[in-house]
Amino acid sequence: MDIELAQIRPKLGDVDYNLEKHLEIIQTSSADCIIFPELSLTGYVLRDLVYEVFKEAEKAVTKIVDNSKCAIFGTIKEVRPGILRNSAVISIEGSYDYIYKFYLPTYGLFEERRYFQPGDPLSDVKIFKYKGINIGVVICEDAWHPEPIEALALKGADAVFIPASSPMRRLEENLLIENNWESLIKAHSLMYGIWTAFVNAVGSQEEEYFWGGSMVSSPQGTIKVKAKKFEEDRIFTKIDLEEVRKARFFSSFRDHNRDFHRLLSNL
Amino acid sequence: MRVQSVLQELKDVNYSVISEYIIRRISEYITESGKNGGIIGLSGGIDSSVTTVLLSKATQNYFILLMPSSSTPQKDMEDAKKIINMIGANNKYKIINIDPILESFKNEIKTNDKLVLGNIKARIRMILLYAYAQIMNYLVIGTGDKSELLLGYFTKYGDGGVDILPIGDLYKTQVRELGRYLGLPEDIVTKPSSPALWEGQTAEGELGVSYDIIDAVLYLRVEKMMDIESIAKELQIDTEIVHKIDRMIKTSQHKRLPPEIFRLSGRAINSDWRYPREWI
Repeated sequence: MDIELAQIRPKLGDVDYNLEKHLEIIQTSSADCIIFPELSLTGYVLRDLVYEVFKEAEKAVTKIVDNSKCAIFGTIKEVRPGILRNSAVISIEGSYDYIYKFYLPTYGLFEERRYFQPGDPLSDVKIFKYKGINIGVVICEDAWHPEPIEALALKGADAVFIPASSPMRRLEENLLIENNWESLIKAHSLMYGIWTAFVNAVGSQEEEYFWGGSMVSSPQGTIKVKAKKFEEDRIFTKIDLEEVRKARFFSSFRDHNRDFHRLLSNL
Repeated sequence: MRVQSVLQELKDVNYSVISEYIIRRISEYITESGKNGGIIGLSGGIDSSVTTVLLSKATQNYFILLMPSSSTPQKDMEDAKKIINMIGANNKYKIINIDPILESFKNEIKTNDKLVLGNIKARIRMILLYAYAQIMNYLVIGTGDKSELLLGYFTKYGDGGVDILPIGDLYKTQVRELGRYLGLPEDIVTKPSSPALWEGQTAEGELGVSYDIIDAVLYLRVEKMMDIESIAKELQIDTEIVHKIDRMIKTSQHKRLPPEIFRLSGRAINSDWRYPREWI
């Protein structure tokens, strides 16, 4: 399966503009499946604009579903009246479902818990199949914890896609946050023998600056492709099950020990 | 007249409780900030009249500047004097005509654009207030109300350049009622609002909408979180009016927030470095 990482610069709160951008990329892509950043339809630093844009975003979802083969993009889902979740839509051949963020960051500059309700792992860990590949999706912060991606891998994921909105912290020659993300996706790939794709937004939103640098790690922990920093970019790579096999032949991913999870559940 | 019933909802608050609360807050803020009192610019309009009266009840240590220019109506000066008499501030005020200062700016800038000159007037007043505040170790007491703040109907770093905004959470409609409660002369309470930055300027003339409608729209939009179409229907007014007010709110957000800092450090002011004002 060929995937495209669409590293876009969403306009904060401008759903019409963002939707156009999504459709434009979808219509001109040669990939089987296109992955966009976290909250790609709305922008990330919305603050109270959340309350005003979620309905518009909801309407835009079906437009993308109707016009794409396979797309994963970010939106706000009202799961019950007045209860909003930071979500990714996975749309495959006209049918679609929602992925919810489990870990909502509230440290540093983040204030997601002010607006969103976290997903429920017991009902919201889902696997989707397209072009023979088992796909899992986690949103940004969930990749900073072991469990969400581990659960997906154990449920059968061959590839995990991570829509993200990662703002720059300290500006340096080599961004620490970039190294952090690279370490994270390599580690997930190595531990579970999966393809891991990180898709970041780019550009300014309020005082924050999203650095881009989207990348894909192979199951063997090799960065196969990397997008530019600080500008919009579209990058492509092939998700190949042979690499999954090879990684798993020569790793101990097959040795899942449930007792650790029994222990963890009591902590 | 749906507008009137929404305004009724706005007006229907307890002005005795509100005025006592604001007076207490001014007094506590002055104490906690380590300042000796407060200075205020009084124009004779409803907002500065109400705020001046509240300030005079919060502290004995206050000072009033009257800063007329050639575009200040004589009536406003008379009204300002009425307020000064009402609170017994005859030895606590000073009149500074800002025309000569404005002239020296005009000589440098060479424009007759009334908007540019109007903003200069507002900023000259800010400079004078801060100079006196520093000499007296006073706070600059702002007089903006919620309607003006939301519309962005003030000069950035002019009348927007202040230390506190005691009536900043009251709509114009409520400020008028509060003025009535405080016993202000009725003609000040009912006088059409005007920044008086140029001759004949009135707020409603410039905004193209009455404060009755503005306040009803602001209240439904901001506090009731209604969408534009619903508001137009509810108030039985043209959607375009609601759109216009909504646009004013959105385009003036930069006036209500501190300037954007381009983040590039490990911990940036306002982003992930946030401390309270009271930081001892």
